[in-house]
Amino acid sequence: MVDVNSKIMSAKEAINRFVRDGDALVIGNYTVGSCAELVYEVIRQGRKGLTLYSQSGIFDVETIVGAGCVDRLVTTYCLRAGGKKGGSAVERALNAGTLEIEDYTNFQYNARLMAGMHGFSYIQVLEGAMVTDLFKKRSFMGEDKFRVIKCPYTGKDHLTVPAANPDVCIVHVQRADKFGNAQYWGALGSVAAAALASKRIVVSCEEIVEHDVIQSSPHLTLIPAYRVDAVIEVPWGANPTEVLGYYNMDMFMYGLFMMSDATADGLKAWMDEWVFGCENRAAYIDHYIQKFGSKMLDGIRAKAFYSAPANYGSAFTSRWDREGKERNMGMTLPEFEQTLKERGKLYE
Amino acid sequence: MSKPYTLQELLVIAVAKEIHDHENVILGVGLPTTAGAVAKALYAPNATLMMESGIIDFEPLLPLNHIADAHSCRGFSYATDLFSAFTMTYRGFVDVCFLGVGQVDKYGNLNTTAIGDYYKPTMRLPGSGGAADFISYAKRTVLTMLGGNFVNKLDYFTSPGYLEGGDSRDNTGLFPKGTGPTMLLSTKGLFRFDPVTKEMYLAQIHPRVTVEDVKKDVPWDLKIAPDLSETPHPTDEEIDFIRCFAPAMSAGRELSMELTIVNMMKMLKA
Repeated sequence: MVDVNSKIMSAKEAINRFVRDGDALVIGNYTVGSCAELVYEVIRQGRKGLTLYSQSGIFDVETIVGAGCVDRLVTTYCLRAGGKKGGSAVERALNAGTLEIEDYTNFQYNARLMAGMHGFSYIQVLEGAMVTDLFKKRSFMGEDKFRVIKCPYTGKDHLTVPAANPDVCIVHVQRADKFGNAQYWGALGSVAAAALASKRIVVSCEEIVEHDVIQSSPHLTLIPAYRVDAVIEVPWGANPTEVLGYYNMDMFMYGLFMMSDATADGLKAWMDEWVFGCENRAAYIDHYIQKFGSKMLDGIRAKAFYSAPANYGSAFTSRWDREGKERNMGMTLPEFEQTLKERGKLYE
Repeated sequence: MSKPYTLQELLVIAVAKEIHDHENVILGVGLPTTAGAVAKALYAPNATLMMESGIIDFEPLLPLNHIADAHSCRGFSYATDLFSAFTMTYRGFVDVCFLGVGQVDKYGNLNTTAIGDYYKPTMRLPGSGGAADFISYAKRTVLTMLGGNFVNKLDYFTSPGYLEGGDSRDNTGLFPKGTGPTMLLSTKGLFRFDPVTKEMYLAQIHPRVTVEDVKKDVPWDLKIAPDLSETPHPTDEEIDFIRCFAPAMSAGRELSMELTIVNMMKMLKA
């Protein structure tokens, strides 16, 4: 039977339905637990002309830029492989003229999404940056990278950035239910703002849980069901990065990636094997275990350290007490209905 | 006489001593997180360690992989978001922060964005990350320079130090008075900033390094403190702590990477 309320689907279907050529796409994760499988699926489906928002680019930005999916990058931080002698896909694309970049600080970038999330058209950021080249050197945002306005209350100059409302957010979390309630904990970063600022939201998670689990821990829900378009259960979905409570960073796989990323040919060979060579995450993990055994992955599985449960309980869950009397008015349901009748409240 | 130590261990201790008890501290990846752990364990048990990803008040059990690494501690006291980590800095609640350096000029202005032309860089560096906002509003900023360069003019101006020196930073009205970089640590020495001119000068020199060695890397006429001292040798307690907590830090990046790759190859063959 088809469950009409379920948003569960495969990564392939979700990216196919919700990520389009030319979209502004935001990677919702920040430094930790990046949505590797969703990024790889965007690459496998060959999306073009994306404007990519990434708070802190790591292997995710390197692969999607290296694959030629991205024309414009809004970011605060880029990864570099191999130190001074090395390189990065972002650097190569800038020099080839195939990528434009707009640099912000961590706060400015997050503030743009925060404004977008709350429906404002702009937001104040920290004015110190006005003296720097972040303010002075502009790329595709031009005049609209920053605007300076006068505060109507203090008369001081305020630095502002425009809201960002990306077309689609892809994000990986610990757990979600089939309706899309997505729970994430650990380094909160800008995950909520990235997702909630976006028009469409695709969530991958380590596990899909019963709705009851979500209801008893709503403080962990960062993205509510009514905003989510797709939910994909992807164990190991963030490898080689880490997911708190599930697994640590995979230094071995990250090391392989970093050794490859310093050159275009190296990155291509790595992606041929680990992105294009594996049709989905299950195939990726199979390939990993076939090639290297399961020792590496077993060694980074998280041991449990549970949060103390918060008590969401209350004194009672019904207006009627054990004797069947209404708690304030002190009468049973038949007595209550009799009273309604006597007082002329009932329409025949 | 304390036991033999590595240069890296000496650097970590020099940074750790910039953290005082009861302070609120924003840590960056690498050397500063190890220094933060040392300080918390040995000199500043009541310091509140924070990271911009929103992990606030943590006690690292392992060296952190990055600034959003909650896997290196067993829980923490306050989970907030990045936006709030910066607004609390803006409001003056951060005593000291730590930043890495790509290029630095004599007034402690920083480039961590690009070498060469910004739009077609010879070398694309990471970018600002949190740097430009932290150095603007933290009460003190400590700069750690392991691979960067001293320059007369930055290729890209990412983060504001003392601008043109003297009162120029305070006079903009954009920064809380008295904020700015207070120390720069390189692999050769420890630098501070003149209270009036705000020019960087050499305050301490590491063992086996001469003043000429330091001057060779600096394109301006570097001033030397009249009371120039040698950076103190770490104590046994300090050395033992670092070696146990972060052995790769004791070895330094090059040696630890070399040993790691050798071990990875061995694992691949097995």
